[in-house]
Amino acid sequence: MLAGGQSLLPMLNLRLAEPAHLVDLGPIPDLGFVRRERDRLVVGATARQSAVEHSADVRALVPLLAEAVEHVAHPPIRHRGTVVGSIAHASAVAELPCAALALDARLTLLSADGVRTVDAEEFFTGPFSTVARSDEIVAQVEFPVAGPGTGQAWSEFSLRRGNFPVAGAAVSLTVADGRIVDVSIAVCGVADRPVRARAAEQVLRGAVADEETVERAAAATTSGLAPRAHGDLAAHILPVSAAPVPGWAYRASVARAQVRRAVTTALTRAGGTR
Amino acid sequence: MTQTDIPTDVPVATAPAPMAPHKDLKWIGRSVKRVEDPKLLRGLGRYIDDVVLPGMLHAVVLRSPHAHARIVSVDAERARNAPGVVAVLTGPEAAARFAPLPDSGPAPDKHVWRVLAADKVRYVGEGVAVVVAETRYQAEDARTLIDVTYDLLDPIVDPLEAAENTDDLVHEALGTNVAYERTFTFGEVAHDFATADVVVRDRLRWGRQTAHPLDTTAAIGDYDPGTGEMVVHTNSISMTWLAFGAAVALGIPSNKLDLRPYISGGSFGSKQFCWRSTVTAAMMSKITGRPVKYVEDRLDHQLNGDQHGSDRYYDVELALMRDGTFRSLKIDCVDDYGAYIQFGVGSHGNALAQVTGPYRITSTEYRVRAVLTNKTQQGAYRGFGADAGNWALERIVDKAAAELGMDPVDIRRRNLIPPDAFPYHIPSGNMYDSGNYEPVLDHALERFGYAGWREKQALMRAEGRKVGIGIVTANERSVYGATEFWFWFDDKDVPVKTTSTPEGVSLTVDTVGNLTVTLYSTPFWGNSSDTVAAMLVAEEFDVDPADVTVVHHGTKGGLPAAGPGGSRLTVMLAGAVTGAAKKIKDKLLRIAAHDMEVDEADLEWVDGGYQVRGAEDARRSTADLAMLAYLVKTALPAGEESGLAANFVYDHPHLTMPKPDRSDLGSFYPCVGHACHLVAVEVDPETGAVDILDYVAVHDSGTLVNPRSYDGQIVGGTAQGVGTALSEELTYDAGGNPQVGTFWDYLIPTALDVPEVDFGHEQTPSPITAHGIKGGGEAGRLMAPGALSAAIDDALRDHGVRVTELPATPERIVGWLRKEET
Ligand SMILES: Cc1cc2nc3c(=O)[nH]c(=O)nc-3n(C[C@H](O)[C@H](O)[C@H](O)COP(=O)(O)OP(=O)(O)OC[C@H]3O[C@@H](n4cnc5c(N)ncnc54)[C@H](O)[C@@H]3O)c2cc1C
Repeated sequence: MLAGGQSLLPMLNLRLAEPAHLVDLGPIPDLGFVRRERDRLVVGATARQSAVEHSADVRALVPLLAEAVEHVAHPPIRHRGTVVGSIAHASAVAELPCAALALDARLTLLSADGVRTVDAEEFFTGPFSTVARSDEIVAQVEFPVAGPGTGQAWSEFSLRRGNFPVAGAAVSLTVADGRIVDVSIAVCGVADRPVRARAAEQVLRGAVADEETVERAAAATTSGLAPRAHGDLAAHILPVSAAPVPGWAYRASVARAQVRRAVTTALTRAGGTR
Repeated sequence: MTQTDIPTDVPVATAPAPMAPHKDLKWIGRSVKRVEDPKLLRGLGRYIDDVVLPGMLHAVVLRSPHAHARIVSVDAERARNAPGVVAVLTGPEAAARFAPLPDSGPAPDKHVWRVLAADKVRYVGEGVAVVVAETRYQAEDARTLIDVTYDLLDPIVDPLEAAENTDDLVHEALGTNVAYERTFTFGEVAHDFATADVVVRDRLRWGRQTAHPLDTTAAIGDYDPGTGEMVVHTNSISMTWLAFGAAVALGIPSNKLDLRPYISGGSFGSKQFCWRSTVTAAMMSKITGRPVKYVEDRLDHQLNGDQHGSDRYYDVELALMRDGTFRSLKIDCVDDYGAYIQFGVGSHGNALAQVTGPYRITSTEYRVRAVLTNKTQQGAYRGFGADAGNWALERIVDKAAAELGMDPVDIRRRNLIPPDAFPYHIPSGNMYDSGNYEPVLDHALERFGYAGWREKQALMRAEGRKVGIGIVTANERSVYGATEFWFWFDDKDVPVKTTSTPEGVSLTVDTVGNLTVTLYSTPFWGNSSDTVAAMLVAEEFDVDPADVTVVHHGTKGGLPAAGPGGSRLTVMLAGAVTGAAKKIKDKLLRIAAHDMEVDEADLEWVDGGYQVRGAEDARRSTADLAMLAYLVKTALPAGEESGLAANFVYDHPHLTMPKPDRSDLGSFYPCVGHACHLVAVEVDPETGAVDILDYVAVHDSGTLVNPRSYDGQIVGGTAQGVGTALSEELTYDAGGNPQVGTFWDYLIPTALDVPEVDFGHEQTPSPITAHGIKGGGEAGRLMAPGALSAAIDDALRDHGVRVTELPATPERIVGWLRKEET
């Protein structure tokens, strides 16, 4: 399946993928939409990353998605790459799968046999692997629209501007009466897929968000995660056998810092206590 | 060694007398747009991959997936029968038909270097077979059908272990993995160390990096079986003086080989010789009788190009007095050359050309061990060993400043060679032609606002920000003499000779006075050689550079030419063009005097012609005189040949022989520029990110030719230096597998990562070159790594962190911080 080709074509060039047939999703009509449906923002399979990036609606409705997409690669790549393609590709360090996880996005999978919906949490099963079968396409992804009192933020560190991050954090939280009433945090770069930082969420949920609490939450980010051997994270960008990826301990420390930064920004945006 | 005058007793080269800088230069020193721009910027440059010859085939190379293995068999039958395939040549077959590649290392017969591996593979990526097919797709498809049986051997990866290991050898014939070892002692090192107040020691690691020009190395071989002539269209080796090396490898008479130069989208040293692409394309053309194109793809280039840079482990010691005065320097270096050693230890010869930098240091010891491992062999990368050398020297200077509690500016200023000491001989023998270093330092400090930045830094640090300032004062040797490659080998039985690495040009004035200059080496490696040549001609004849035609001659029947490299081309072309112009202008003078019936002494050159002194309308323009030279033999002085053309071969401006006992290596890199870089950075201690806040570079490379393109060299070199300092690294795992494949892993800074560089210029002319020009092609990369390292140290000084290993990646910086904390 060929969407924007910004991951698939490099793989073909390097002969890492040698498919017998390639179906181009591009010409399929009516899949390039980005639209609001009640309390959801829905992005169709061929909608380009740049369309989402430049949509005032997206910025207002799902600011985390708009902010995360800005960190994907460079403008020429975002003009071709699709939001859905990035999520379907399921790189463990990519921004959009991580943002989708934090936002509790819902994916619609379509095949000749019918339609089913899957939550982001169940969708990612490992590096470059998802529950989508080879006869299914991801037709659209739905993101919940941010409600009042909600602040969202993306924060990442990459070794070079426009690169995939070493680690990144997606945060969406809602503040009411000075307390965090709802929070979701996902991080990328520290496991074989994007993961929710449940322990960090736990620290924040119901709390008055002072600096010390945020610090504790950040520290808890990687508490449940198993350190990974070097080679384990190697295949994060392209499925190649070796790459000098930073070690896990470093990635984990960067992830904690990004959680602190993203939570802090999200709190400010939520009009919270900080 | 004490300073002396420029010795004239033993000049090896026969350079014309140095020309004093002209007073009223019209073009030299003016920023002009490149004459190459109209074609390059409109996509009309015609790079090698744009060239399509009738009947042309395409070659791809099968590469070893193993770092070290014996080749048991290569079965290419299936590939030979694949669609579109015209020929397959395996390593063992190639070894039987073609000679090894030229190798200027010590004992080349003991580490034989071939276009394809014949008996064993010695690194991941080494070529094992070539497939030639009608299309590149077909060739790549067929390549997967070659079956190679390998007998795996233990990979030799760590050079420090490899140096001691005599069981596992990269080249059995050598009997050791140390291809070369030597200690040079210049001056009274032991005495100077014994009498010094302080000795500062450092252990440093310069990681392996590489140039990555947009345009990879490529060639098209075009063999004519009828005449036995081979034309190779190439963007790499196309300098006349070494073309015979390719002829030898190919088994073709040198006068039947023509290497035709093409512009190239960058070299940075990586295209210095590149025998392999030329030989690959040519041998396959010889076999198939059809033109064969071989263009490295990015992985070919990364794994099997000839551009990996120095990979060094340093122990450095500086002896100095308590007041900060330097006495003596000891360097002990292990260099991981990879599997072959094509240039010998030339890159250490290069470092020795300015081993003591811009400082007065009276004695030096230099030890090098060149170790072979199962990695891609080194080639040349901008700086060619002096990059690492400058960095090591500046690191120890900074460490000395810190240990003595001196400001890094003060310790440098105290030790700079004073202007009245030039020409200056450094302990190893090389001569620095001229210099005036303090004005460069002062200019840089002022431009940067050093005092102001120190105040700003204090305020920022008070807010908890990790802000640091770094400085380097460093030299750029230019105009290489090839002695750097061979002074190592002083076998008493071998008579010592050297080459002046000459550069020739031809200059033609046509019947109506239009000018054409012919060059005999690579046309364009990013260094705007056409613009340089056109400006030099324009200067001599008072025309517009855009009106000068520049022609690139192939190697066959060409004048001697060595092309770019070692920051030499501008100086060499200046000498050659000036020499050729003089011949033509002398002839014009003779014709003018004869035609106007005046004495030659009564004529002067004014605005493109000769005129009688004091009589503006009694003149003959170049066009008038050219018309006579071509068409009116009767108007020429008796015995004067018709036509108006001249060749001139310019020899190296100043080359002296090494002493037989090598207590002095002679002068081989004499045009020495100077620079000061100042940088302010902020380090994020959580991520290890280094943010460059301000960057100033002041350079002095003698008389500037085209400041616009010179600034381009500085900013490009600085950008590469930023990569060197912070992000670029070719790493190998314990099995010798390269961990870097694509630009996703090999982190060249982009335009978003490179700082705006604020330039300043000083001009101290060279006394030995035409117009006083010095080279400036490696500037930037020779300075930036030291400046950034110092700035990171300064930013993290409260944590006791010092940069002792490059690149200082974010992960390393965080690791150093953690180590210092515990
Ligand atoms: C230089 C460069 C830098 C980059 N940097 C980043 C970065 O910083 N961060 C980042 O996240 N990404 C980065 N990318 C990748 C980019 O974001 C890709 O666009 C994205 O990963 C894939 O989207 P695509 O539309 O191009 O999909 P394609 O490349 O066309 O497809 C990718 C994979 O997903 C499958 N697929 C695509 N669409 C569907 C669908 N609807 N249903 C089922 N399967 C589908 C394809 O079959 C294929 O296996 C970079 C790419 C490049 C070239």
